[in-house]
Formats: sequence, C-alpha cells, structure tokens
Amino acid sequence: MKTLLSAVLQAVAVLAAAFVIGFAFNALSRNGISPTKTPVNVPVASDSTQAKEGGIKIITLEEARQAVESGVAVIDARRKADYDEGHIPRAMLLDYYDMGTYKDRVLPHLSTDQLIMVYCSEVTCEDSELLAKELYSLGFKKLLVFKGGFAEWSAAHLAVEKGAQ
Amino acid sequence: MKMMWSQGANPAELRPKGAHWIYNPYVLLALRFMLAAVFIYAAVHKIGRPLAFADEIHTYGVVDYGPPLYIMAIVLPWIELLCGISLVTGLCVRGSALILLGLNAMFLVVIAKKTAGFVHGGTPFMKVYFDCGCGFGATYAWKKLLEDAVYLIVAAVLVAAPLHRFIVPLRRRLP
Repeated sequence: MKTLLSAVLQAVAVLAAAFVIGFAFNALSRNGISPTKTPVNVPVASDSTQAKEGGIKIITLEEARQAVESGVAVIDARRKADYDEGHIPRAMLLDYYDMGTYKDRVLPHLSTDQLIMVYCSEVTCEDSELLAKELYSLGFKKLLVFKGGFAEWSAAHLAVEKGAQ
Repeated sequence: MKMMWSQGANPAELRPKGAHWIYNPYVLLALRFMLAAVFIYAAVHKIGRPLAFADEIHTYGVVDYGPPLYIMAIVLPWIELLCGISLVTGLCVRGSALILLGLNAMFLVVIAKKTAGFVHGGTPFMKVYFDCGCGFGATYAWKKLLEDAVYLIVAAVLVAAPLHRFIVPLRRRLP
C-alpha cells in the first residue's frame, strides 16, 4: 500500500514536470500552438462560387489547371523534401507542420482578397484542407483546395517545377 | 507468507526469496532500459511538432479539435520523454512505470478501436495497416497491438516489482 502510494506521488511529480516543461517549450518553440485554439468554422464546398464569396472550395484537376494558368497564388502544404522533388509551377512552400518557419516568408506575398490554391500530396492527405482553414483564420478568405494534390497533377503529365524555393 | 530479503553482495540475490526470476535486479534494469528506449525514441519524434501530433491523435476520433486535444499534443510527448529518462536514471522508477502502464492501456484501447473500424469496413484484421502516430511510422495493427501489450506487461512488472535496485533514493537513509 505504501509502495503504491509512493508510486502515485512519483507519477504526479513526473506529470507535473511534463506539464511545466511541455508548456514552456511550446511557448518558446517556433512551431508552438495555442492550447486554447478553437477550431475555425469555415464553409467548405465543391460548388461554383463558394471561394469567391469567402470560404473554401474543393476543386478538381481541371479547375486546378485553369486556376494555375489564370495566375492564382499557389501554396504547397507538403514537406520541403517533397517540394524540392517537384511541385506545381509558381507554388510557394508552406509546410503545414512547420508554419513557424515558412509563415513569415510566404504570407507577405499573399493578399487577403486574392484567390489562393492549396494542395498537398494526394487525395487522402488532409494537410491542404487544414492549411486552408489556418489561412482562413489568418484573414485569407478566398481559398481553393485541390484535393487530388501533386500525385494527380503529375500523373496528368502537367508542368512541374523542381528544386528549392 | 512473510517476505524474506537476502542481503548478499551480489545484486542478483537482492530480491525477495522465492520471488519470480523476472524480479531479478538485472532483469528489471534491462526492462527499464528497453521501455525507456521505446518511449524516448517515440517522444523525440513528436516534440516540436504539436500541430502534426494533434492531427494524428484526431484521426482516432476520440478527441475533437479543441483545447483538450492541443494540451494532449503539447504535453504527451514530454510525459513519454520524462518517463523514459526516469527509467534510465533511476529517479521515480515506479511512478514513471505507473504512468506508462496507464498510457499503454490507453494506446491499446484506441488502437483496438481504430482497428475494429477498419475490420468493420471489410479489411481483414491481419491486413489492417496504418500510422498510429506513435512515432514509428505505419505498421500492421496486429503488430502494434502486440507491441503495446508487451510494453503494458513490462510496465506492470516494473510497478509490481517488490524491490528496485540501481535507483536514485528519494529519501535520505537514517544512519
């Protein structure tokens, strides 16, 4: 009984230390997050004019091709290694999981009233949608999410750029 | 039966007489190091990327986006790291093992739940394959469940061990 009580007290001490160190590290880390962050309620749709009115529109490969040709801003939400291997022409790298590193480099090149297309690896990855929601919360309201991602783009033999940003 | 404690100079003899071989101090030390290595490795891969870890936790469908999920993503890797360091250094061994016992029980439940979802969707149990977000990449669910069951047993042994050697005493002994 005494041993169990001692184990519980030790466990409480370790947990308390983990809370203190974890929150301190998070506060100092460039990729730290706000623990009180609330999910952004963004209208997501795949029909006609959603993005123009404000919100996120899911687009097809053909719509993505047209958007790139028309000059919308393109954001690549993947990791740097994937981006360097190949990306959609003019895409800017904004790794969703390393926002601290890329946010200051990319966001000054965007304006809140322009159309922004976001993509990630393939149809199953959620990072493009998650990044679009993040951008929405930062004031960028006209967002296109190309769900097919780079896999669908390259499979269609569309133009690809290689190398670092 | 009253426990007898041997007092020989050999640490291997410093265990309750008649106790199971698993409570041999060297075996307990090896188990501590094994569990520590697993959790330190897992923690290092999660620390510094709380947003990614939050998304990985979210895929289990247990906690929705919001403060509880983000707090978990911030703190959980540090709990794993501190428990691992404690097991290696011998400070708060039993307490850390108790935490890891609880964590592994929780991991087993959520991984089993997610696996059941795949099986219900028509995937054969032995072919269920996903990234559990544990820091070790994608693997077969049966393998992950087996691994976690082993870690659970090891943590339980460390909690239940009648005596730990090679530890930092938390209280000064009276002369």
